Amino acid sequence: MRARAAAAAALASFGILAIGWQAGAQSIEASKVTGVTNSATNGNAGTASSGSTTSSGSSASNTSAAGASSSGTGGSGTTGSGGTSGSSTSSSGSTSSGSQASTSSGLKNGSFTGTAEETRYGIVQVQVVVSGGKITDVQTPQLTGDDMRSDMINSEAAPILRSEVLQAQSANVDTVSGATYTSEGYVASLQAALNAAHA
Amino acid sequence: MPENQPANLNARTFLAMGTVVSLSAAFAPRPDAGDDGGDGARRLDAAVRVIEADFATLEDRFSLFREDSEASALARGVLRLANASAETRAVYTDAIEWRRRTHGAFTPERPDGVLDLSGIVKARAIAEAGRSLVALGLTDWCLNAGGDVLVAGTPSPSNATSGGDAARPWLAGVVDPEDRRTLLGAYPLAGAPGCVARRALATSGSAERGDHIWAVSGGAPEFMQVSVAAADIETADVLATAIVAGGREMLDLATAQWDVDVLAVTNDGGLLATPGFRAPHAA
Repeated sequence: MRARAAAAAALASFGILAIGWQAGAQSIEASKVTGVTNSATNGNAGTASSGSTTSSGSSASNTSAAGASSSGTGGSGTTGSGGTSGSSTSSSGSTSSGSQASTSSGLKNGSFTGTAEETRYGIVQVQVVVSGGKITDVQTPQLTGDDMRSDMINSEAAPILRSEVLQAQSANVDTVSGATYTSEGYVASLQAALNAAHA
Repeated sequence: MPENQPANLNARTFLAMGTVVSLSAAFAPRPDAGDDGGDGARRLDAAVRVIEADFATLEDRFSLFREDSEASALARGVLRLANASAETRAVYTDAIEWRRRTHGAFTPERPDGVLDLSGIVKARAIAEAGRSLVALGLTDWCLNAGGDVLVAGTPSPSNATSGGDAARPWLAGVVDPEDRRTLLGAYPLAGAPGCVARRALATSGSAERGDHIWAVSGGAPEFMQVSVAAADIETADVLATAIVAGGREMLDLATAQWDVDVLAVTNDGGLLATPGFRAPHAA
């Protein structure tokens, strides 16, 4: 089961690599680069431009399985972005398009969204549109610069007083979170007490 | 029978991965039968057996305290990563990805070079156990493995179904690192309406277990304890560890790039917190 999943993931990454490669090649020769640089200069999240066909939908915080299989390409994400000077984002785009899609080895028709990759310029997420077995469009549905990042920030950590924290006594919490080193003693005993209280 | 009958809340504990794992589950009282909670207790017992196996499976493979584990073979150099099982390589890949995303603040390698995936394996075990509980049909539960918490639903499912008060969230206390008999505060998990459900809470500390977290700079860690609430336990666990190791810089990176709440205790006892950890002003 797991072996099959891993094999499928590996296949998928190879497929994506192929897509990325082709994307890189094609975007140099074709006018697709403009699509990428547009959203780069706008600094726009570019939801308007991502109206291309089928499903996309991966989020920045989405890791797990997709993250695991993207390692083959993941390491190159930083190098790719290092090489870009802001205008030709296509190289980082192609490298960061990891393992989201459910392709097999060939290029399926449809639109495929890569994982959101952090670069020093912000978050880059690439979407490729495949038609007739060829990549017909490369877009960056998500490219967040520092200014755009405020969309994601709902919370910055700021100094607060102890009295400002949501107060609770051991008697009225359901469970206790503490660093592992506390668990052997305190957490274990408190949890046992809670268990007894709830039993 | 009392008017406002509470949900049947049951709890079990077992030992795994060198720590205590506790599972609490709430079952809405059944109005039909004269159910004294025995049904809930049986379902909980069955669930505990399943998640004990989940933990044991990962521990067998990844424990550095077991001579015959795959992780020990890797640490001794007997086994190369390239020849390791697909699962081990997947976890390693995962850990490396986290290292990249945290700019090196989280790392699966100890200073002595030994590969130590235990930081991420416990979180994976918790997540796996959580999936098992869902698969077993349990809807309202709270799983705590050595202070790392993952919840689903509510401890008061009866209220939710009867249309009375809104179901209250699982309330997780956070240990005060300076006085561990007391709580620093609490965090409502999976509760706040209108927010992304943060079902997981993990806490990491810098004291006592010097082998647990390694400060990136090599200097003394800025924070003595960091708690992170996130949608999933792996993110919560990894980021808590990373912030202890990476200090304020990593804290700012975490709050900027992930949808999380953070409560950090500085070395002089001060607190840094995102709004989610603040008490509501109204109340």
